[in-house]
Amino acid sequence: MSEEMSITSYLAQGGVLTNPSNVPPRYRAELMKLMATFVDSELAGAAGFADIINEGPGIKARIAAARIVLEKTDHAEKVLRIMGDFGADTERYADHHPWTARLEREADIGQSRTKHDMRLAVFNYPLEGWADAVVMNFLMGRAVVLQLEELSHVSYQPLAEAFRAILPVETRHAELAEEGLMVLVEAQGPDGLQELVDYWWPRVAASFGQEDSEKFEGLKAMGLRRTPNADLKARWQQDAADILDKAGLKPAA
Amino acid sequence: MARFHDLEVTDVRKTIRDAVVVTLKPVNGAAEAFDFTQGQYLTFRRDFDGEELRRSYSICAGKDEGILQVGIKRVDGGAFSTWANTELKAGDTLQAMAPMGTFFTPLDGTAEKHYLGFAGGSGITPVLSILKTTLAEEPKSSFTLVYANKGVNTIMFREELEDLKNLYMGRFNVIHVLESDAQEIDLFTGLVTEEKCAQLFEHWIDIENVDTAFICGPEPMMLGIAAALRSAGLDDSQIKFELFASAQPGRAKRKAAATDAASSANQTKAAITLDGATQTIEMGKDMTLLDAALENAMDAPYACKAGVCSTCRCKVLEGEVEMVANHALEDYEVEKGYVLSCQAYPVTDNVVVDYDQ
Repeated sequence: MSEEMSITSYLAQGGVLTNPSNVPPRYRAELMKLMATFVDSELAGAAGFADIINEGPGIKARIAAARIVLEKTDHAEKVLRIMGDFGADTERYADHHPWTARLEREADIGQSRTKHDMRLAVFNYPLEGWADAVVMNFLMGRAVVLQLEELSHVSYQPLAEAFRAILPVETRHAELAEEGLMVLVEAQGPDGLQELVDYWWPRVAASFGQEDSEKFEGLKAMGLRRTPNADLKARWQQDAADILDKAGLKPAA
Repeated sequence: MARFHDLEVTDVRKTIRDAVVVTLKPVNGAAEAFDFTQGQYLTFRRDFDGEELRRSYSICAGKDEGILQVGIKRVDGGAFSTWANTELKAGDTLQAMAPMGTFFTPLDGTAEKHYLGFAGGSGITPVLSILKTTLAEEPKSSFTLVYANKGVNTIMFREELEDLKNLYMGRFNVIHVLESDAQEIDLFTGLVTEEKCAQLFEHWIDIENVDTAFICGPEPMMLGIAAALRSAGLDDSQIKFELFASAQPGRAKRKAAATDAASSANQTKAAITLDGATQTIEMGKDMTLLDAALENAMDAPYACKAGVCSTCRCKVLEGEVEMVANHALEDYEVEKGYVLSCQAYPVTDNVVVDYDQ
């Protein structure tokens, strides 16, 4: 059993890493960034949504919103714990930052992050009321499901396992948002909602990252990615458009 | 932040020529922190010639045995493993972090499962912990171990595995695959490759009824086995890996030492704040801020020491430092004055840095 194999070629051939001690430096950096992006997005998403709970029409809607806040926070903790294995101070991490902070509604930041955290750009926009939160949660929820399916195969086993546990719960969040959307359509018709779809559609689309990301090949070789951003985005566009169609809505032009 | 606890070495026993089993007892009330789960590992730290090394070794004891034991195989040129194999003795004290790792599945006393384990050489240690615990806690489950070694005399825990076979007759089976020693059955000679696994799945292992497979061994062996398991229909969630790469990451050499250490031009006064306390120390400009803090008994955070994980990040409040590598901090963080202390050498005669910001 004395064959030598570099970690790089092991990973390129689909190998799995299992603990911080054999994670190479560049891999570690990308893995930490991937985890920080997820944790920050979940914490920021939960924090933003928490303010919306009381605007839910009726008890059931409020329970659904509260549950989403609770579970997204739990998901952040699951992944933050893995960052902790790498030495991150998890308590300080969770508390050091105002996760509710948002930019202006019309801020034009494209795919860039703010200067303070790694949340996906879409989580920097403020939610304006219940319908707005439902539409955002539906569109982003569908995106998260696809992104998590992709990340359930990452080559860092503890993280892949965490994402596999998180995926069905996030899938449920997207379903709850879809149910909420249908309730709104029934109550008020699609008109006001189309405006919200038009607002969130490009912002959620941007969360898939750059189409010709040069980093992709590097991440693929490390087993941290499989499917190009453009493919994932195309799947989301199809997937979300199909459901919007059922609601009498359409994607932003 | 990583916390180390003292552990008393109560026994050091040779298993084969170049591997020891070390029995440990937590002291100073740390017992609770070491209530491990089968398959987990411990990370030890020790100073070698003034430099701290951290090494991880898997626990080989079963949960029900009531002891804490790790197996340490000597690696050529490995400072820690050589020391453990030649000098470590009962009565010594080791320092380790609480058990870590997720190389296990939850057990259920009523379950009736079939587990398959693959171990290569010293990769047996966590697999042994898993199989002992599983067989004891799930009386209806069975476990098949495929254990790859160079030859008969390099098999760690050979006798213990024989005893377990007798103890759990009909529920525990071991297939030894030896690289160089011929065996009665040709299939059991050679390397455990994808092809070898496929052959084992034909007649020797009921792969269709396997619930979970555990693999711990060298990289090529893990790849081959995983490929064979996937072809046989197992999905990713049914395959558990544990890897301790033989090639540990290298350590950055210090920059060329200054020739005249007495000259004030090579000395810096550094005020370092950590956990609310500030220490002012004299340090050479050929030393990183992190090493200076560590040498002055400050428990500064770090992990990779390679400028990557950002665990050692601190903020420079006064003075100037130079980072030789930075794979973690974004430009905006650097602009704010953050540096990776493991990569940062002082430039000015005075620096003030803070780990708390």
